[in-house]
Amino acid sequence: MRLIPTAEMTLGPFFPREFAQGLHDLAAGAADAIEIIGCVTELDGRTLDNVVLEIWQADAAGRFDNPEFPGWGRAATDAQGNYLFRTVRPGACAGRAPHVNFLVLYSGLMRQLQTVMFFENSEDPVLACVKARERLIAKRETPNRYRFDIRLRGGEETPFFDD
Amino acid sequence: MAFQIERRDPLTQAQGVEAGYAQTARRWPSQPLARRPHSVAELSGPQVGRRLGEIRGDLAGYGDRRALGQLIRVRVRVLDEDGAPLPGAVVEAWHCNAAGKYIHPNDTHDAPVDPNFYGAARMVAGDSGLVELRTIKPGAYPVPDTGGWWRPPHVHFSVWGRVWLSRLVTQMFFPGEPLNESDAILNAIRDRAARERCIARLVPSRSSELVYEYQLVVRGRKANPKIS
Repeated sequence: MRLIPTAEMTLGPFFPREFAQGLHDLAAGAADAIEIIGCVTELDGRTLDNVVLEIWQADAAGRFDNPEFPGWGRAATDAQGNYLFRTVRPGACAGRAPHVNFLVLYSGLMRQLQTVMFFENSEDPVLACVKARERLIAKRETPNRYRFDIRLRGGEETPFFDD
Repeated sequence: MAFQIERRDPLTQAQGVEAGYAQTARRWPSQPLARRPHSVAELSGPQVGRRLGEIRGDLAGYGDRRALGQLIRVRVRVLDEDGAPLPGAVVEAWHCNAAGKYIHPNDTHDAPVDPNFYGAARMVAGDSGLVELRTIKPGAYPVPDTGGWWRPPHVHFSVWGRVWLSRLVTQMFFPGEPLNESDAILNAIRDRAARERCIARLVPSRSSELVYEYQLVVRGRKANPKIS
């Protein structure tokens, strides 16, 4: 039997707020925790409220199957379009440079948008697939804080992936 | 067990910028989406059940705390592309009340709030990949500033499959609703059969609830062993 995947549809504007609360911290008090912050904007640079972001990453050693580390988190943007994750810097793994996978869900997005944040310009088979690769590289604002802004459309549009 | 993710037929999915849904032209990327090779990052996935517990599977309530509206039960089966059930799959559901009003503070629709209805549920699938949502049938509501677009009754679902690329967020519709024919979201799916799979099936019921059955098919199938 071969089933066809269900059609994706938009999250809509009314995703329950409680679903996006308390899930942005993956670091659990780790001494080497980092912050990933950013702003999500649409065409013309307007900031977007209540955008749901989910991340998936390896642990500090590059493992995706560490039972002690969730690897997954969820955050929503505030009224100014800003989000925040607390996590640890992932390690390199199986030919992949350290990176954090992002998924964007929002009203007006009929399908989930996938993108990837890198910590520095690196040799990586996914980073090699995009032209504007500098837009996937986070800006280090302090030793423990990285900025990864997401522009959905227009201007410095973030590269997204289709799989 | 290794899983693989294959390309989907574009007719069974929305394109991105959709006629009749103005926000899509402000938010869907203008550049073509890049394709990438799949590594362990994309073909592994979070065990979200470790962070997301069940919080509600009954939105209808009992006794004098009963929500207003037609009592329904939605039986949802979570399957992969091989038709294999996903026991333990986490399923989130949310919908508006019988008058078309969401619990969300951003909902400005002038419809009554039902004090006994809280429209957000999270369930974990049993051994056969089944979750059951007992609730009331949601109402229709107008989309602001669209000149007469009314959303048909629908239930939002969010589910995690076996791997990162199996994530699915979608909406379930009800059979026989006239508004289904004109809804810009349902009709963004160009393939008729794919649209019809987004409409729940009413099944015979001897209980006090109308029973609907529905399938959520997440991406992914068993990887073919490499022939070397």
